[in-house]
Amino acid sequence: MIQPLDSNDTEQPSVDYLPARMINEYVYCPRLFYLMHVEGQFADSYETVQGRIVHRRVDSGNGRLDAPEVFPEADLEPAEIDMPPEPPKRRGKMKHVQAATLFADADTADDDVDAADPREDNEEKTRSSVHARSITLSSDSLGVIAKLDLAEANGQHVTPIDYKRGRPRREADGTAGAWPPERVQIALQAMVLRDNGYQCDSGMLYFDETRQRVDVPLDDALIRQAEQAINGARAVYDSATIPPPLVDSPKCPKCSLAKICLPDETARLVENRRLSELEPDREVRAIVTARDERRPIYLSTQGLWVGKKGDILQAKADGKLLQEIRLNEVNQVNLLGNVQLSTQAMQTMLRMEIPVAYFTQKGYFYGVAGGLGVKNILVRREQFRRADDTQFCLRLARELVRGKIRNHRTLLMRNHRQPSSITLRELKRSADHATRSDSLASLLGIEGNAARLYFGDFSGMLKVDCDVETSPGAALSEKRPAFDFRGRNRRPPRDPVNALLSFAYALLTKDCLVAATKVGLDPYLGFYHQIKPGKPALALDLMEPFRPLIAESAVLSAINNRMVTPEHFLVAGQSVVLTGTGRKHFLMAYEKRMDATVTHPLFGYRVSYRRLLEIQTRLLARLLSGEIDDYPVFVTR
Amino acid sequence: MRRIYLITYDVCEPKRLRQTFKCLKNWGDHLQYSVFECHLTPTDLIHCKAELAEIIHHGEDQVLVVDLGSVENRSDDLVQAIGKPYSDMAAPCIVV
Repeated sequence: MIQPLDSNDTEQPSVDYLPARMINEYVYCPRLFYLMHVEGQFADSYETVQGRIVHRRVDSGNGRLDAPEVFPEADLEPAEIDMPPEPPKRRGKMKHVQAATLFADADTADDDVDAADPREDNEEKTRSSVHARSITLSSDSLGVIAKLDLAEANGQHVTPIDYKRGRPRREADGTAGAWPPERVQIALQAMVLRDNGYQCDSGMLYFDETRQRVDVPLDDALIRQAEQAINGARAVYDSATIPPPLVDSPKCPKCSLAKICLPDETARLVENRRLSELEPDREVRAIVTARDERRPIYLSTQGLWVGKKGDILQAKADGKLLQEIRLNEVNQVNLLGNVQLSTQAMQTMLRMEIPVAYFTQKGYFYGVAGGLGVKNILVRREQFRRADDTQFCLRLARELVRGKIRNHRTLLMRNHRQPSSITLRELKRSADHATRSDSLASLLGIEGNAARLYFGDFSGMLKVDCDVETSPGAALSEKRPAFDFRGRNRRPPRDPVNALLSFAYALLTKDCLVAATKVGLDPYLGFYHQIKPGKPALALDLMEPFRPLIAESAVLSAINNRMVTPEHFLVAGQSVVLTGTGRKHFLMAYEKRMDATVTHPLFGYRVSYRRLLEIQTRLLARLLSGEIDDYPVFVTR
Repeated sequence: MRRIYLITYDVCEPKRLRQTFKCLKNWGDHLQYSVFECHLTPTDLIHCKAELAEIIHHGEDQVLVVDLGSVENRSDDLVQAIGKPYSDMAAPCIVV
């Protein structure tokens, strides 16, 4: 009998406490629990923000609760202990040691009362109720740590109260009830209280929207349910494999992690293991919003100084305020050339997880600053394991190259004045050829050939007449190169179209790198592109199918819509560079393309290209973790 | 989905007035005295409202939130200006 008490110090289990809040998530959806608690991913939604606002008052508590009156001594016989009249503990362990330490110096707490609540001035032993807010308690026997929003103590009787946003569940008889996740969470709080020596036989939920309290009695059935939830959650935690998504669940649209979890998309790709068997036009619920609500900033004026004031970025030149940008509207910051960003601003970006990308003035991409990366190490481990598997790399690379060539062909068919049937046929053949290729080296050859064919016909997609004769003023036009494209060249680009293409690819590399980092992948370890110092190989892999759809398409629309004209270029020796104004105009064209929506061929809903990059990258992570078998490369029709 | 909100306020005390102005600066464009145009997601809106509710005196001050519809379906003549020009804040990105 004495053993469980004595063994307290020696047994010291290697508990990794599971927060009661996380077990709530587990009951809601095991996959949500995994993403949040195992992979460490979090995203805000309307509901989470509302929940935080509801919790503002209770979270401001001092976390202090008077220690339970009855302290069983460890060396006493259980019979001698003045046990409070409560049901016998199922796990039989009193955490009195912890009670004394966790209750914020229980001895001194008595005279240091919370002034905000006059009721706490009462004598300790009076029967009037005492409130304490924001108390953290743990239980070794349960392996659970719980944060109590509010505890109402009535003598030795303590009732935990949890604040919830929204309204209670309406039971069949019309009374207010609670959903299983909330019931389990409050039960865990009550069980942790019991384990710490308090008497507790019910918990309470407070619903902010209707200002209703719902009583949750702690009965055996609920205790059993809570224990099952703990075991289930621990099993998922230990196994480190992601549980499958809920099937067509009404919970998903309100879940803050839906855009990370991709429940219906994953379910669809799992259901039809082989992509070839997928019926194309079955729609998937569009749970995520079609567009990112926030937008990128490009700071390209040379000599700009960017600081932060409140939640606003201020861009100044020569001490004069040029523009104010609200931080909650920003999803990335790009610095081109000599632009200063203050440390305070940089710290805020890191805290808000806003990536900051650095380019040269001419648009050569240096890299991205963005904190220590996503905590999600599991997917990165899979990435490294898979990169050693040559068969896996080849399979993925084939799909990427095929997708890129197919998209090249589509772009030609859509935009070329008179697409040459020979080129189209050849591109189609190369795409098929790519799927049968037996090595990365031969894939490179196929890709190179297709690119040569494609760029040979690229000029047919330019629909502006920028001949030297038509430019006003012959003297000027000698210095202004026309949009005369005769094939791809770079380092340096030798004509305006190549200059735009190079800049567009640099921007796209940046966006793919940001997407890869966001998902938790290492952007420098690719599957098709091999390791080379400083080369973001995975970002380059990811961008292959998107080169025509985003970068080249943005170049075409910038030229064809005359957003960029020959006046926007300068010739320096062999190379051609964009002027500052030209760069700004092209950035607008590029971002317009990123913001344009497109129908996803597999899921049937419309999303912006920026969102699409993220979805495709998350699907790649699903492939790496083995949840799906084929990577669905994005191909437009 | 972002929506356009016209947020106006009538605050009787200078300190609270300053705080209200400062708070709204973080959410939208200052159009006129006591008038802001804010493009907010539902999340932004509850956040903004919670901040304002903390600042103002609920018996003496007033904040009005006028919903002008979604940013995407904005009609060209949603706001018409007489006098100084008015410019719309929507653009796919911010280039400085």
